[in-house]
Amino acid sequence: MDVRHLSVEVRMEGGIAVLDLVGEINGFAEEALNAAYAEAASSDPKTILLNFEGVDYINSTGIALIVGLLAKARATHRSLLACNLSEHYVEIFNITRLSDFMSVFPDERSAVVEASES
Amino acid sequence: MTDPKPARTDADLGRTLADFSVASEPGNERMAMEAVAEAVKNLGVSGENLERLKTAVAEATMNAMEHGNEYRPEVPVELQVLVTDQDLLVRITDRGSGPPPSEDADAPDIVAKLEGVQTPRGWGLFLIKSMVDEMNISGDEGHHTVELVVHRGAEGGK
Repeated sequence: MDVRHLSVEVRMEGGIAVLDLVGEINGFAEEALNAAYAEAASSDPKTILLNFEGVDYINSTGIALIVGLLAKARATHRSLLACNLSEHYVEIFNITRLSDFMSVFPDERSAVVEASES
Repeated sequence: MTDPKPARTDADLGRTLADFSVASEPGNERMAMEAVAEAVKNLGVSGENLERLKTAVAEATMNAMEHGNEYRPEVPVELQVLVTDQDLLVRITDRGSGPPPSEDADAPDIVAKLEGVQTPRGWGLFLIKSMVDEMNISGDEGHHTVELVVHRGAEGGK
């Protein structure tokens, strides 16, 4: 089985930087994920949204990478949100307590609405 | 990945559903987890329960490749899938030496990780234990085996 290396597109949506993630979030994803986060942060948005719609696999190394992004966001007083996680990965975000520190939304629209109102 | 060996019945171990190995190369844990999913497809494990089992298998295989076999591609990780009347078992064996890894897997301290006091890594064992009913670790001078147990009836663990 070939690894689906992560690709990330960065776009702005109502003042929120959205990272569209496609592929696997594992050890191979570090460079792409960090580069995309840096690109998003360069415009100094208050909120960055990770859109997991195109992600079908996250392993423990990927969880560590997300923890790293969350640490960067908190250090710069920026909100990091997540949307479009599968039911399984919502459970993993809950048991790892990632969801205590980054709000998880069922879809992009609800995340953007919430972020716009806060 | 090696070709699966023919299924056999062993009164003590239960019925072997799959017996194969993967090379210790990053990314091969997905191959292992999909092979296990295929092996158990007729047992009624599905949906979220199947996803939990797949995550446990992937994480245990990653640990075996990284910590046991030090990502030496020529050193295989061996996987065996067994079923008894009571349990579904997946045994994952590496060629690690020294004492087997500890079964202790308290929840990692995410606050310490976010504050940079701890490394962001260290989630694997905790994830494995959270996904199955039991995790048992054994070993000798040249092997470590992690055994994942899912009680049948509850099929799929926690």
